[in-house]
Amino acid sequence: MKLRRLQVEQLRQFRQPFVMDNLQPGLNLIHGPNESGKSTLVRAIRAAFFERYRTSSVDDLRPWGDSAAAPTITLDFEAQQKSWHLVKSFLQRKRCDLQIDSDSYSEDEAEEKLAELLGFQFSAKGVSKPEHWGVPGLLWVEQGTGQNIEQAVEHAGDHLKSALNSLVGEVASTGGDELIEQVKARWGELFTPTGKPRGDYQKLEKERQEHQQEIDLLQGRVQKYQEQVDRLGKLAQDYERTEKERPWEEAERQLEQAKERYRQVEKLEQEQAREKETLDHLQRNQQLLRQNREQLENLNKKLKARKTELDKARRELEQAEARSPSISSAVKEAKAAYETATKQVDQARLQQARARLEQDIRRLEQQNQTLTQNLETAKKHQQALDQAREQARQNQIDAQAVKVLKNTEQQLNEATIRSQTIATRLTWQLEPGAKPALDGEPLEGQGEKQLLEESSLVIPGVGTLGITPGGEDLASTRRKLSTLEQSLAEQMKTLTVDSTQQAEQRLTAYEAAERALQQSRELLKSVAPVGTEQLQAEQKETDAQLQTAKTELQNSPQPGQQAPVTDAASAEAARTKAEARLAEAEAEDRKHQTELLTRHQTRDNAQAEWQQLQDEVHNPEHQKQLQKLSTELADIEQKQGRLEASLQARDQEIKEARPAILRQDIERYQRSISNLRQTQEERQRELRDIQIRLEAWGAEGLEEQLNEKRAELEQCNRRYQELHRRAQALDLLLTLLTDKRQALTRRLQAPLQKHLDHYLSLLFPQATLEVDEQLRPGTFTRGTELGQIAELSFGAREQMGLISRLAYADLLQEAGRPTLVILDDTLVHTDTDRLEDMKRILFDAANRHQILLFTCHPEKWSDLGVVPRDIQAMKEQGSANLV
Amino acid sequence: MPKFLHTADWQMGRAFSRFETEDGAALVEARFEAIEKLAQLANEYQCDAVLVAGDVFDAQTVSDRTIRRVFNATRAFTGPWVILPGNHDAALAESVWTRAERLGAVPDNVHLALEPGVISLVTQGLAVLCAPLTQRNTYGDLTEIFNTTETPEGLARVGLAHGSVQGLLPEEIDSTNPILGNRAETARLDYLALGDWHGTKQIDSRTWYSGTPEPERFRNNGAGFALIVNLPEPGAAPEVTPVETARYQWHQWRETLAVESDLDQLLNRLQALPEPSVVDLRLEGSVTLAGEEKLVDALSVAEARFRSIQCDRSGLQLEPTDDDIAALKADGYVGEVIEHLRTRQQDDNAEAARDALAILAGLLKDRKQEASE
Repeated sequence: MKLRRLQVEQLRQFRQPFVMDNLQPGLNLIHGPNESGKSTLVRAIRAAFFERYRTSSVDDLRPWGDSAAAPTITLDFEAQQKSWHLVKSFLQRKRCDLQIDSDSYSEDEAEEKLAELLGFQFSAKGVSKPEHWGVPGLLWVEQGTGQNIEQAVEHAGDHLKSALNSLVGEVASTGGDELIEQVKARWGELFTPTGKPRGDYQKLEKERQEHQQEIDLLQGRVQKYQEQVDRLGKLAQDYERTEKERPWEEAERQLEQAKERYRQVEKLEQEQAREKETLDHLQRNQQLLRQNREQLENLNKKLKARKTELDKARRELEQAEARSPSISSAVKEAKAAYETATKQVDQARLQQARARLEQDIRRLEQQNQTLTQNLETAKKHQQALDQAREQARQNQIDAQAVKVLKNTEQQLNEATIRSQTIATRLTWQLEPGAKPALDGEPLEGQGEKQLLEESSLVIPGVGTLGITPGGEDLASTRRKLSTLEQSLAEQMKTLTVDSTQQAEQRLTAYEAAERALQQSRELLKSVAPVGTEQLQAEQKETDAQLQTAKTELQNSPQPGQQAPVTDAASAEAARTKAEARLAEAEAEDRKHQTELLTRHQTRDNAQAEWQQLQDEVHNPEHQKQLQKLSTELADIEQKQGRLEASLQARDQEIKEARPAILRQDIERYQRSISNLRQTQEERQRELRDIQIRLEAWGAEGLEEQLNEKRAELEQCNRRYQELHRRAQALDLLLTLLTDKRQALTRRLQAPLQKHLDHYLSLLFPQATLEVDEQLRPGTFTRGTELGQIAELSFGAREQMGLISRLAYADLLQEAGRPTLVILDDTLVHTDTDRLEDMKRILFDAANRHQILLFTCHPEKWSDLGVVPRDIQAMKEQGSANLV
Repeated sequence: MPKFLHTADWQMGRAFSRFETEDGAALVEARFEAIEKLAQLANEYQCDAVLVAGDVFDAQTVSDRTIRRVFNATRAFTGPWVILPGNHDAALAESVWTRAERLGAVPDNVHLALEPGVISLVTQGLAVLCAPLTQRNTYGDLTEIFNTTETPEGLARVGLAHGSVQGLLPEEIDSTNPILGNRAETARLDYLALGDWHGTKQIDSRTWYSGTPEPERFRNNGAGFALIVNLPEPGAAPEVTPVETARYQWHQWRETLAVESDLDQLLNRLQALPEPSVVDLRLEGSVTLAGEEKLVDALSVAEARFRSIQCDRSGLQLEPTDDDIAALKADGYVGEVIEHLRTRQQDDNAEAARDALAILAGLLKDRKQEASE
């Protein structure tokens, strides 16, 4: 579709006719400032197509204040290889005329033709709204709506799809989607959204299991019941048989027989026991008799032994008595030796005491002498000390002061020498007679004087000569000299000496006295360290001790004539030895006395015992007894032989009867009887128990219940199978429908995707934009970015919107539909770089479609390769033409 | 001369699990009615006695109520009933019979043959030689003792046994509880009344299986009868008359639908069946969508008419014709899905594909109807 010419009249600000002519088949850039009428022209094109000529709801087209206006739009365009001329007037003159080549249409018929051509609908009432705009709504972009593409696509949906169908040659199923929804709803009755069974389908599955469990339980019980019935049958049979046979009665008979045999054996055993007892009695008796005989025979032997014992005791006693004298003499000797030793000890001790006293006296005398000498020496030293102290006191002088004095004298001497060197020397050699006087002092002969002060020499007859000594130091030297002289005199006075020599002599004398004092003190200390008084006391003490010792010695007794050979210690040792020997001798004596007594006793006892036995053995009764015993013993032995033979015979008899086995037999028979009876009783009891149990179970009608349960399970199964089949069928159907529909959608999307990719590669290389099922641009990816169009920035959305629209235009054109792209001030949010890309895209699209681009920024589009058309200029041109 | 009614295999206490609860209950009820009908027939034919040849009860432990109801149902005929335990209700140490006796449910005129031996019904001129099962299964011939069993002079010798006659019945029948084929002859019996085989069957001139009076399986042939046996004179062949006692007829059909007329034929046959029928259908082959619709309608009608009808269509493929598909107006990918499902019916998962196709066709049809409204 190519728009050739547009004319408007009595429409908003275009009160006068306005013509836009020579519109190009490709890009047309129309510009003008705000309010110049760009949007009005767009509105006029829309109104020419979309608004019904007879509507009254287009007041916005009326020029302001002009109630008599009839807004008129005239369009010339080419479409479907035909030339179309449309004139539409509104409000005051409602008309629509359409001429297609040579055919003319008017009013509604004309409008139908337009709608069919462009693919839109008319509003049933009032102003046309976006939902009626269809394809033009998609391709004609109003100011500021470029980015909103979803709705526009939706409104153009059917037209787009029919265009796609004609392209792809596919027929989308009529109402197929609705069918899918129905199938899904039925599927949803059986499955949860995640595909798990639900509702009855799920419940039946569970019920099946429950039924199966109940059946298993019942089956188990039926089986148990049948087992019990079988058991009952067998038991009853056994019971009857046993009751008839009575096997325990036979056992009872056998028991009786065994008992009888056992009783006989018992009798034998009793007899045997009795005889054994008799035998035992005999044997015991025999033993006693033998013992008696032996005892009697033993007495003679005993008598001999006792005689031997008696002899031995006598001998021993005699030996002991023979030893007695020697032992007594030994004791006596030991006693004498001990007394001698004791005396010697006393003598030695006395001698020892006297020797010590003598020694003490010698020592004390020597000590006394030493102390007396020391005392005298000390007195001498004390005198020397007192003398030296007196000497020191007389010559006492301060050594330091003497030193200062000597120093002062030295300085004076030095000062005197110096004054002589600097003093004015006055020498004279007078002629006799001449009597000059110096300072009143007459001079004579030859002499010399040193002058330190101003002096006057009077020479009689000549007059007076004044002499003034020169030199600077003279005055001070003279002063110092006098000071020193004064000081020397004072010091000597203090020390009470007349000269320095005297002072030094005194100092020497003092120091000598001090030394003598020191020496005397040391000497005194050496003889009397704590003073002479102490020394005297010690001397007195020693003297007293000496006197005491002498007295003691005189008083002590004189030792015997013979001098002791040994000292006290060896005397003591000799005595101890003698004492021990004495004790030994005495012990020996005591032991001997004891032995003597014991042997006496032993001999007496042996004598008595021998005598007693001697009497007994020689008694006649004893012989008689021996004889009687022998007779009795012979009798017993005979009896014993008889008994033993009888016992052996009976023992054999008992052994052959086997009493142990007989006892076991009895026990065996008793147990058998009790077992047999018990078994039968138990059988009876079990019979009764099973009977009762079976009666109870039978009343439940187990197998009938089982049959019923099985029927329920089968019904449940049947219902489940039905649902399961339906579920599988629905599942299959839904899967197939969904798959097929998706395959179709993909086929339909392909052409649109192709066009979209074409533009997108110009704008964002490496980016993809996928078309969704509703043919809307959907998922956008660029590098790692992934998202929906709606998540992009406003500018990007606007650009995506535009390239999508161009892609739809391509698609429509390919399907042979008319396309006209109108862009009203679009891409205002696009930056310069992106705008460059968009220009390339627009230029490319203009090769296939007519594009009307309205803008108030012509400078932005100057490089679009087309001549911009200025509305303002066209208006003026129009007015000029009119004029 | 004695005349008696021979019946067997009542199988009381059996549940019919393959049917819906309501239908199962009705079939159980019909078995009680069958006993009443037997009593009524015994009166009608002026029978001297009723002989029941085993398996009165389906199991040993049926409910007390079932026991009582069975004996109550015999009440109409006051003559003697001789009832023999079979393999399902053997006379074990504890059995349904001992329970019945304990319950006091057994009327005086009912003789329970719990032990082998002779029950003499002197008034009726019958000596009944009984071979009851006292174990669940035996491998020896319990009727052998009949050969040596003496009966009072002047009474007809009638054997009563439960088991399979050797060499005559198909192999699948229990080979336990065997019975000699010519036992009637070897034991000099006037008649041998047998139970265990659920269809009425004559073995020789004196030996019969009466079959069950009310069918309970699809497989039995000739079930649903009782036998009226007349013994005209000693030594003469008995006169045996089968009398129908069944309330319900059981039909099991296996059909393959190839062409459209097959379906019509089937539906006509179904139409011809009497109302008290129990029907089990299994269909194979293929059917068009129109045919399927017709079939579903017919089954719906049959469900209301018959006691029970079950139809297994899992082996039946749906083969929509081009017209079918055109009628469904399934265009675009839905059309593809239909085609896909059609071919998938050949696969392993044919059943799901068939069902899916049916569901889809149903939905499309509904939509068409909505659209036309």
